[in-house]
Amino acid sequence: MLPLESSIVLTLHLDEGRVGRVEIGSNRPVQASDMLNGRKPAQVLGLLPTLYSLCGTAQGLAGLEAVENAAGIIASAAQRKARRILCQVEVVAEHAASVLRDWPPLLGEAPDLAALKPLRPLIMAARKALYPAGDWAVPGGGRLAPDHEALTGIVGRLGEAVSRGDLVADRLISRIEDEDMEGFGAIPPSLMPKAGPPDLDELLAADDDGSYRAHPHCDGAVFETGPLARQSPRPLMAALMGLYGNGLMPRFSARMMEMASALREVEDLVQDLSGDSGGLPMARNDGSGLGVVDAARGLLAHRVELREGLLHAYRILAPTEWNFHPDGPLARGLMGVSGPDLEWRAALLAASLDPCVPYRIEVRSHA
Amino acid sequence: MCMAVPSLITAIDNGVATVEAFGAVRTTSLMLLADEVAVGDYVILGPGGTFAAEKVDPEMAAEALAYLTEVLATGQA
Repeated sequence: MLPLESSIVLTLHLDEGRVGRVEIGSNRPVQASDMLNGRKPAQVLGLLPTLYSLCGTAQGLAGLEAVENAAGIIASAAQRKARRILCQVEVVAEHAASVLRDWPPLLGEAPDLAALKPLRPLIMAARKALYPAGDWAVPGGGRLAPDHEALTGIVGRLGEAVSRGDLVADRLISRIEDEDMEGFGAIPPSLMPKAGPPDLDELLAADDDGSYRAHPHCDGAVFETGPLARQSPRPLMAALMGLYGNGLMPRFSARMMEMASALREVEDLVQDLSGDSGGLPMARNDGSGLGVVDAARGLLAHRVELREGLLHAYRILAPTEWNFHPDGPLARGLMGVSGPDLEWRAALLAASLDPCVPYRIEVRSHA
Repeated sequence: MCMAVPSLITAIDNGVATVEAFGAVRTTSLMLLADEVAVGDYVILGPGGTFAAEKVDPEMAAEALAYLTEVLATGQA
């Protein structure tokens, strides 16, 4: 693995058979975005989806929103709707990919590669079906010319992947029930608010050394972000959480619920989507802006400053920094755990929080 | 951060590509790739590097690699 392709090492330190300490080692380059400083917004926004390809659409959209806010651009309703479609297509595809690729090995099965293969092209196809010139991440809006037939086809193919994912999810949920692990990993919930921490803009603005981005918090609280936090207001999820807190069953179920509801939302939004010429000019060349997007894995924030039309203090805060924080939901959920198959159970909890980089689990006994 | 590094395909054998980036040579399956690729093309690898995830056009690959070179040079990764 290259130094740029980061990973997470989760070490469980056992004390008399119980997890007494959880260490989360991460080499994630949270300050890499500093190198975007001094560049033109359009150049950076074109580059982001390639640089952060796993959630390239969300990264592009968060950067776009931050730049537009800094430049005083208010995108049209049609542009905002099209961007929401792009975001939700990626959410469905990423959730489905995680279910089809990462969940089968937890059951001793092989990933469903046949169902996995069409997912990434569907993200690209959605961009093209909305913005044929490929200018979906241009400040002020690209030329939006929806191809409704293509979009309907994309929704259909995403639906097929979701159905395949349902089968894997059924087996995983059954196994969790068989093992009496529905509430495994539950801790007192500290869920990400819908719009993120209220003072996020100020915190990112002041984060010159990257320490906040590496270990984010809100007045000391480390939030869980992602499907569970977003789905928790729904009655079914509230009922599940009433039974099992924020343990495995609610977390995995939240992913499946969100995948289905995001697909429905895309289907609805596509119906009455109209075209738009885009091209709104920058209202100012100096300012600052925050862009916050609900990416598949949770809240993704970009903050930028514009100085004479060039980017400065480019800061990105990704959801994995919350969920895999040394005092976050994974670490706290594993504290005090004992018994057999510790590595497998830790892998289940990690998968329920779906990090955006590969992870490795080590168990160390201390006499 | 889930950064992706465009990697140059140096050989392809039976659906498995040998790729190079920043001096590191690895192999990756082309099984999940939608586009046809050949030696000399750039791809981005999926999480863990087992599968190539996306073909990248040469101009974008060059731009991304130039940026990533700066990131490496300044010790941000």
